[in-house]
Amino acid sequence: MKIALIALLGIAPLLAQEIKLPASLERLSAKAVEQVDVTLDASMLQLASRFLSGKDADTVKVRKLVSGLKGIYVRSFEFEKAGEYSESDIEPLRAQLRGPGWSRIVGVRSHKTGDNADVFIRSDGNQISGLTIISAEPKELTIVHIDGVIDPDQLSDLGGQFGIPKLDVKPGKKGSTAGKEEE
Amino acid sequence: MRILRPTLVAVFCCVAAQATDREFQDIVHAISEEFHTKPTHIPFFGLVNAVTFVARPAGTRHIDLAVFEDLDSNRRAGRDLPKAIREAVGNGWKPFVQVFSKRKGSEETTFLFMRVQGKNTKLLITAVERDQATVVQLLLDSEALERWMANPGSMAGRHEW
Repeated sequence: MKIALIALLGIAPLLAQEIKLPASLERLSAKAVEQVDVTLDASMLQLASRFLSGKDADTVKVRKLVSGLKGIYVRSFEFEKAGEYSESDIEPLRAQLRGPGWSRIVGVRSHKTGDNADVFIRSDGNQISGLTIISAEPKELTIVHIDGVIDPDQLSDLGGQFGIPKLDVKPGKKGSTAGKEEE
Repeated sequence: MRILRPTLVAVFCCVAAQATDREFQDIVHAISEEFHTKPTHIPFFGLVNAVTFVARPAGTRHIDLAVFEDLDSNRRAGRDLPKAIREAVGNGWKPFVQVFSKRKGSEETTFLFMRVQGKNTKLLITAVERDQATVVQLLLDSEALERWMANPGSMAGRHEW
């Protein structure tokens, strides 16, 4: 038992590094009317960044941001009607994001529209080494996972690139944890 | 005429050397079997490839194209087509974009695969809609494509790739 615990503690930091999309999400594929899956691992990002060779400011910014990344993963499910997926489908993913190194920096809950959004970051010393966004609307579920070193000031530049939805992120005070509830 | 004939032969030999990949053929075969049909014949498509090989528009060195028209979804064999496509492609290709839509009237399955081959990049795109399907494979010269992407406006006006 003791050995098992020591072994578990030993691999815990490793587990914290990897975010695995749970099998429950795969099951949603059968229910979704529309599904988008974008998978850009390190080699694909390297390839994609070769095509970002423009000299305009935006392209330079995106190329700089992409150079520190190991992967961009986007999964989006759109359903015919509300209630086709439940919180339990996302819970295994949320459980991983409660692990060591991860913290939720933004949480938005709208009781009016049922739209929920959470932004989680993984800190590695003074830098952000991973970011996950869960956007759960009644008829749409989107998960964005960015693996690698990210400068929060440059984050909004990734919006609209590589299948990532446009992000309306304004840099705020560093280190603050936000949680917002709408009516 | 003496110069033209050997040149043409050389060009066609080069184009023929860029043989169609097994993966492309297997995807076309999978779609053909699923819908009990064959791709539409595109006249002079070999000539397009000969021109592409020489001119390399936007860094494209070779194109394989199969278009299926007027597909009848009532005659489908009922196989899991996305699975068949993934199996046809194998592990050598990486699917970086996959889109599945089951919306009535606009059913769609789209795969974008990419593979690096030396200095070139191969792009394999498969789009299967309710009544039509397209399979395209492009062999892209990465450097030429980079130049084109960097400055598409001025590159479009030039003949140097």
